[in-house]
Amino acid sequence: MATELDNIEIRPARRRFVQGAAALATTLIAPGILLYKTGQASSNGAAKTPRWGLLIDTNALSEADVDACVSACQREHGWHSEAGSATDAQWIRKLRLSDERSGQQQFLPMMCQHCADPPCVDVCPTGASFKRDDGIVLVNKHTCIGCRYCMMACPYKARSFIHETLYDQLPVAPRGKGTVESCTLCVHRIDRDGANAVPACAEAVNRGEHKAILFGDLNDPQSEISQRLKSHGATRIRADLGVDPGVRYQGL
Amino acid sequence: MIDCSKALPFLLVSLLISTLLGWLAFTQAVAGEVESSGFGAVAIPQPHKPDNASACVEPLDIMRREHMNLLLHQRDATVLDGERDGNYSLVGCMDCHNPAASAETVIRYPDPQHFCAGCHLYASVKIDCFECHADRGLAKIEQGRLADSNVAQPGSGLLSLQTFQMQLGDTGGD
Repeated sequence: MATELDNIEIRPARRRFVQGAAALATTLIAPGILLYKTGQASSNGAAKTPRWGLLIDTNALSEADVDACVSACQREHGWHSEAGSATDAQWIRKLRLSDERSGQQQFLPMMCQHCADPPCVDVCPTGASFKRDDGIVLVNKHTCIGCRYCMMACPYKARSFIHETLYDQLPVAPRGKGTVESCTLCVHRIDRDGANAVPACAEAVNRGEHKAILFGDLNDPQSEISQRLKSHGATRIRADLGVDPGVRYQGL
Repeated sequence: MIDCSKALPFLLVSLLISTLLGWLAFTQAVAGEVESSGFGAVAIPQPHKPDNASACVEPLDIMRREHMNLLLHQRDATVLDGERDGNYSLVGCMDCHNPAASAETVIRYPDPQHFCAGCHLYASVKIDCFECHADRGLAKIEQGRLADSNVAQPGSGLLSLQTFQMQLGDTGGD
């Protein structure tokens, strides 16, 4: 039984025109689609893109150690207490946990937790608060308008606002009045040294074999940080919020 | 309706006057009459040349015309993607375009001697890079701090913090 299709006359000129049009459309439209797909692959490819994180062993940190973390960060980035100001910069700060019954005290450094789903990025009206492909959460101070929504949104109180006119900033850490700032995970060191980078706070407290603050790639199952997480586990602070912080604590 | 018989002479006269004024300003600027009152009374900038560098990252004419675009482009690549290998970093500019670390002189941004400030003041460009960014290399920053703590250090060319703030106000820094 002959169908209608069989009866259609095949005209070579028409076929060539349709083929040509399809090729043209592919050239014009497809690059956009291809680029879009490549861009997506580079940010989602868990195997290739690192996710930098910290593993902090609070049992190995004394109060003096945490103080050393704070002052190392201050030296590295040039932030310090403005005299008499209740709104000091706090890239990293010391927390004390006390158990009322036993009297046990623990000290831990608290800074930007570099969340996988950062609330500060969700609320930013200008896109200045952003997460890099490698998981580091930063403020692009060129687009920050100083509205401080991100400070409100952050469950860890990790960000601070610069109220004073500043002088003598350091080349690695541009910072100025009217913008929000927080821990950068020493991004300038990471861009230089990659997986071998050591953030300033870790450098200040790591002695000998055991690293009290361990920096590494959470996406690489072979990295030291992943191995230690696998064998010992760790706490995410306020894990109930589901923001998946990249800074993990042991011994809490 | 516009009365062309009145408007045309008026236009011609004003065109003539503005041409004369412009020509006057131009000739004065060419003659370098810096101190005279009236037009062109701004000194041609003499920015501090690098003490120990041979050539800039691009030819002079490109740098003069395009430095802001080069910086802007690399700025976004650095902040957003962490690419720090480019040639056009502000830190790189400031490492060279400042007195050498061995020299005693420390020059801060609003000082007309500063490489950027000289031309920015001359061209009346208000740019706020140095409200956040370091206006000199790391070694010079440490040196400036030391000199700050020692007020009785004469002849270093260093501006005190107070002068610095006054100059910020004068030059229109916000």
